[in-house]
Amino acid sequence: MKKLFEILGIAAVVVMLSPFLFAWVPGAGEWTVGLPTAYWHSLVTSFRQLSITLAFTVLVAGAVTVVLGYCSILWPVVGKTTAAVLDAVESIPAILVALFCYAPVAVALASNSASTSTILSLSVFIFAATLTTLPEAVRGVALPLGELYHRKYSVSLRSYGFTRGRILAVLLNSKDMRDVLRRTAAVILLKTLVLDCSFSFIIQVGMGANGTPAHTSPGGLIAAWRMVLLRDIDGSRLMFWLPVILLVMVSFAFLLLLGQDKQKEQHA
Amino acid sequence: MRFLRFLALELGLRGVVFTLVGTLALVGLYLASVGASADLYLKTLGAFWSMVTLNPDFSLQTAGFSAGEIISSGAAITFPLALVSLLFLVVIALVGASTAASSTYLRTVQGGRRALGLGALGGLLASLLSAVPLFVGFWLLYGSSGMNPSPMLIALVVVVLGGLGWDAARFLTLDMKRQIDTTHTLVFSTLGPAVGRVLPLPGTVTGYLLNSAAPRFIPYVAGKVPAIIGGVTIAEMVFNFPGLGSTLLDALVNMNTDTLIAAVFVLLAVNALVTFLVKSALFVLYPRWYEKAL
Repeated sequence: MKKLFEILGIAAVVVMLSPFLFAWVPGAGEWTVGLPTAYWHSLVTSFRQLSITLAFTVLVAGAVTVVLGYCSILWPVVGKTTAAVLDAVESIPAILVALFCYAPVAVALASNSASTSTILSLSVFIFAATLTTLPEAVRGVALPLGELYHRKYSVSLRSYGFTRGRILAVLLNSKDMRDVLRRTAAVILLKTLVLDCSFSFIIQVGMGANGTPAHTSPGGLIAAWRMVLLRDIDGSRLMFWLPVILLVMVSFAFLLLLGQDKQKEQHA
Repeated sequence: MRFLRFLALELGLRGVVFTLVGTLALVGLYLASVGASADLYLKTLGAFWSMVTLNPDFSLQTAGFSAGEIISSGAAITFPLALVSLLFLVVIALVGASTAASSTYLRTVQGGRRALGLGALGGLLASLLSAVPLFVGFWLLYGSSGMNPSPMLIALVVVVLGGLGWDAARFLTLDMKRQIDTTHTLVFSTLGPAVGRVLPLPGTVTGYLLNSAAPRFIPYVAGKVPAIIGGVTIAEMVFNFPGLGSTLLDALVNMNTDTLIAAVFVLLAVNALVTFLVKSALFVLYPRWYEKAL
């Protein structure tokens, strides 16, 4: 029975993440399902870009997190310095970091070709997202890794003559740490999703047509079609609600992943 | 001595220094991004100094908000909104954690199953609610209350639909549940006190659990202050409040560095002040835990 629930849970998560999978199906932008072609194309493009942002952010932030967590245990001075820097970064609201990293680049985006602008836009946003997710991610990895290291290092692995670096590598590959890394990845994904959509929303609301068109996101699409909901202007209300429903599905999938890990942690 | 150390670290370093350095760093990043000339850097630095020293000539030539108005709007709108949001966050976490922990306690003592089902359903609903994007909540509020909703409603939406209330309740619940099977709790329960189903009041089992969990919960709350300030800033942009959020965005669009400096500085100062208040609670209530949290 427990196994069946686990399988159902995994299936539910996959279904809820389907907007990302669908966005990459060839010709997906041409199936309009009764919506204006331009709108449908924007929706598919926004989920495609969001999936790229999430994938790259989790890769970059994950790699930096592991390296920082690893180094901070090997060298305590590095650990203290890193903690102080990340503490300072964490004390600034994430949306401010994104705004100040991204919005000013609008000038550079406008003066480059569309493809260069898109790459530049994604790079700047991934940098901002990585910066804001790092403090919690590094803390989440360094603390349990440090506990494992100081508990097991002296009792068993040291007697085999392992170097400190090798012991850390072994511990990092343990089941406990793999669970921690999975949970860290889910947190990074969720925070980046919220940041990306909130940021696009602000750009759309605050800057409108003068915003940064290279950054496409469901959050911006929701903001662009808000008047369909609030004032009875031309257009289907589905244009507002569709990205909302898809975003709720995706967020809920990440929350489920986090919840599952928390339950496992409780049982351990 | 311990008090002086607390003031130097929390008020001096994490308050004043972080706010000043953060303002300079963010505005510097902005100037670098727009390819500002050396003259503009110098002029901006001069404006920053003028603002910090409360020079009455600061931003006199700027159309729109003056620095004084920006500071007033921070004091009058952003700061109270952030405090009320923080209060909602704590109340939601306390009620959620107390309900969940008392259900678990009753289940382990009396073997009831109903509480388990209700708890799971409540958790699922809360997580589903927190998956709704924050700004969608603002638009629904806009649709139902018009352009001028009550600040209390805005604060509630920031906490509930920002996912902060759910996360805080989950954090505190896990901590309190972990302690239910410990010896101290079992000994305490033999005295037969009230359970404390809704609120973890002193003298109840959940009150006792909270007393042990609070030293970890308070630093957690302090860590959530920037997220609250971020949510409040978005609310100010959506509802076009004369607060810091919309001023900041206007300054970015119009490349008005004086207003930008003042808005960022006041936002970071409000952030630092609210965090300082939370950290002060930890220092006063649990000084040993504050030292550990360093």
